[in-house]
Amino acid sequence: MAILEAIKIYKTYGNKFNKQEVLRALDLQVQEGEFVSIMGASGSGKTTLLNVLSSIDRVSQGTITIEGQNFNQMKDKQLAEFRKHHLGFIFQEYNLLDTLTVKENILLPLSIKKVSKKEANKAFDTVAAELGIADIANKYPYEISGGQKQRTSAARAFIHEPSIIFADEPTGALDSKAASDLLNKLSDLNAKRNASIVMVTHDPLAASFSQRVVFIKDGQIYTQLNKGEQTRDEFFHDVIKTQGVLGGIKYEH
Amino acid sequence: MSINQIIYRNLKKNMKNYYVYLFALVFSVALYFAFVTLQYDPAMDEATGTVKGSAALKAGSVMLIVIVSVFLLYANNLFIKRRSKEIGLFQLVGMTKGTIFRVLSVENLMLYIGSLLIGIFLGFSVSRLLMLILFKVTGVEDVATLNFSTEALVQTLVVFSAIYVLIMLMNYIFIRRQSILALFHVSSTAEQRVKKMTPFQMLLGILGIGLIVFGYYLSSRLFSSDFFGNQLFIVMLTILASVILGTYLFYKGSVSFIFNMVRKQKGGYLNVSDVLSLSSIMFRMRSNSFLLTVITTLSALAIGLLSLSYISYYSAEKTAKDNIPDDFSIPYSENTSKAPAPEQFTKALNEANIDFTTRHVDLLESGVDLWNVIELPDEEGGIEPAFDARNTTMTVIGDDDVADLDVQKTDVIFVNRMKTMERLIPFKEQGQITLSGEQTSIDLTFKGLKDIAAIPLRLTGGFPVAVVDQSVYEVLASDKDPEIEQEFTEYTGVNISSNSNVEKADEIFSKTGLSKWAAYESRHATIINQKLNVGMMMFIVGFLGLAFLITSGCILYFKQMDESEDEEPSYTILRKLGFTEGDLLKGIRRKQLFNFGIPLVVGLLHSYFAVKSGWFFFGTEMVTPMAIVMLIYTGLYSIFGTLSVLYYKRMIKMR
Repeated sequence: MAILEAIKIYKTYGNKFNKQEVLRALDLQVQEGEFVSIMGASGSGKTTLLNVLSSIDRVSQGTITIEGQNFNQMKDKQLAEFRKHHLGFIFQEYNLLDTLTVKENILLPLSIKKVSKKEANKAFDTVAAELGIADIANKYPYEISGGQKQRTSAARAFIHEPSIIFADEPTGALDSKAASDLLNKLSDLNAKRNASIVMVTHDPLAASFSQRVVFIKDGQIYTQLNKGEQTRDEFFHDVIKTQGVLGGIKYEH
Repeated sequence: MSINQIIYRNLKKNMKNYYVYLFALVFSVALYFAFVTLQYDPAMDEATGTVKGSAALKAGSVMLIVIVSVFLLYANNLFIKRRSKEIGLFQLVGMTKGTIFRVLSVENLMLYIGSLLIGIFLGFSVSRLLMLILFKVTGVEDVATLNFSTEALVQTLVVFSAIYVLIMLMNYIFIRRQSILALFHVSSTAEQRVKKMTPFQMLLGILGIGLIVFGYYLSSRLFSSDFFGNQLFIVMLTILASVILGTYLFYKGSVSFIFNMVRKQKGGYLNVSDVLSLSSIMFRMRSNSFLLTVITTLSALAIGLLSLSYISYYSAEKTAKDNIPDDFSIPYSENTSKAPAPEQFTKALNEANIDFTTRHVDLLESGVDLWNVIELPDEEGGIEPAFDARNTTMTVIGDDDVADLDVQKTDVIFVNRMKTMERLIPFKEQGQITLSGEQTSIDLTFKGLKDIAAIPLRLTGGFPVAVVDQSVYEVLASDKDPEIEQEFTEYTGVNISSNSNVEKADEIFSKTGLSKWAAYESRHATIINQKLNVGMMMFIVGFLGLAFLITSGCILYFKQMDESEDEEPSYTILRKLGFTEGDLLKGIRRKQLFNFGIPLVVGLLHSYFAVKSGWFFFGTEMVTPMAIVMLIYTGLYSIFGTLSVLYYKRMIKMR
């Protein structure tokens, strides 16, 4: 079952004299429990795609539905309501509130949903154990490492059991060890909790952790790769190869 | 683009961003100019009356300069920091520091000239209103006309030019000190980073509250009989020091300590209001503790002074009535026959066809032993009252001269009760006293103090008057101790039957030359005089208080503008997580309630205890005037809180 469905979406910026089309008639489907990566060069529109898919930004044309609900028909307030119940976010800059402790940061989404304190604590214990951050629960963001921050951010995305999680360059600011650590955890959680993940990245290694990689070029889907029965290593080489083709500039002479 | 264009564009852009700064500038100029205009206006001579009045105005204008310049320097400091990125950019594209300084100077100069013009215009228009208010409170009857005073204009220009030079000097130093790199980072290093709560801080927090409470406790004991003379002064200093230090520690530690406890209680499960208010304020207050202490202390001072002056204004009439029981008091002394007798006045009144009644009281200064009726401080304190209670003198009158009072032969009742005196020398409810003449001495039972004004306070210096049975009085009078000096032997009070004639009688009183003599008092003239002095004081204090209120409100507002910029990313995160604008706004309202409310409440508390400790020197009524002052202050102050919420609202809307 497709949990997210985008049909013919367009996104344009600027006025009518200086129009810039960032997304052009893009179609995308994400199945329940799927881990999808979106790759592409800088300026290919991948972050814009993530923003519109996650309802932070609105499309100019086309429809997006998550769990059968159409974004276009929702008001801002309803969208916020929808986000708090169904979506989780992980960002490159962690986006943790630095005046809150790790635990307080993670529990934030639950406080929006007005979950009881007991349940909240239970949920925290589970997710903190899964991501290995239980021992830093009472530390402030400035006291912990980048990898720990990103795991905190991931924990915050998972804690309210959203149907889909959007990750924007989650490994962008991490060293390779912390990055693969995080990605392992993410794919674990993806399997265990059956939560779909849509991740934007330009790191082929990060992309190789997912089940499917969508390549975007100039606002359109260029190609897709499925992991299938391949090992991660084989898939990684496929991704690199495709990226090489994608990055090449054709001279039309 | 030429430099002139850059200046022009900057100016245009800054107008929009810094309208509050502009407002502050215009406001400062208007305030100062209005004040100085009043000072130079010839019509003020009557209101100021004495040299004291004009000296007070002068002192007020100096205070105003201090407030305004500190405020403007502070505001400028905040704004140049906000513009550091722009300055860095200019430097990056190759402008020299000198050129940048020139750009800033010209820009500021234009802002300055513009706001000077507007401010002077506004100041001139409100000064008439101010004068009307001043005339109203001082009771001067005069038409409030205004002449544009060149002196005032020159003085205003000089003062603000000096402030401008000062500000430019500061900007110059700021630019000189910065490298390109540092300029880009200034806003992030300016604020203290988030830090963990340490046990030392908790200790500071507890100490802070402890010091404040200790100060309050001392202040409530200040004018009880526990402290005398020099000790009083030391105690006052102790109170001041412990409250101010306590306030500082309160912001440094207590606020975060309390908030931290609240947070702990929540066990990590915070809702959006907690996130925006508790966690943010916890860290912010700590880094702003010095500024907040200054603001709080000065607010407390302003509210306290305003309350005290309003208390004395409010109770001017009642105080005069307590102090002077009759419309006109004419004491008479056998020894100084030069002084005019009451008949001189009554004759003049008869001639003018004014009905009146007189009240005659014979006075006797007699030796007395009060040892058994005065509450003395504990022996351990070892402090003796400033006079010898066993052998002192007091004024004695017979009960025939006091209406509504009948004293038994063996009893004595004290009248002319005065609260201030009672604080210093508290009397027991009952006891034995001994009145003594030259040979005889009479033991009497003290039956307490009564709220009766028998003779003017002026005649006894605030000490109570003993009322005895007429027969006892006769005995004492016939056995007068010649060694005891007695200024007045008789007192005549003249009461005008109809209120409308009091003013006319007062004219006669001063025309016949009676008012010149010591202790010859007219209640009407005293009230007017009191209102003039106190009204003037109240006006100046009120003016300064207003200036201070608005400047401190602006400073807190600017701080909030700064903070909102720092916290913008947090709001973005929260919005992405699914909090609505309404949720955020709710949190921000609470945050501003704390941000503006905590300094206000602490300031109000400080001034409450300060006023409570010594208000009785100023008047007879505390609660109503103080409450009025506090309400007005709170109302004006909360305008700034509301403005800052609106500012945040606009910012969140843009997310």
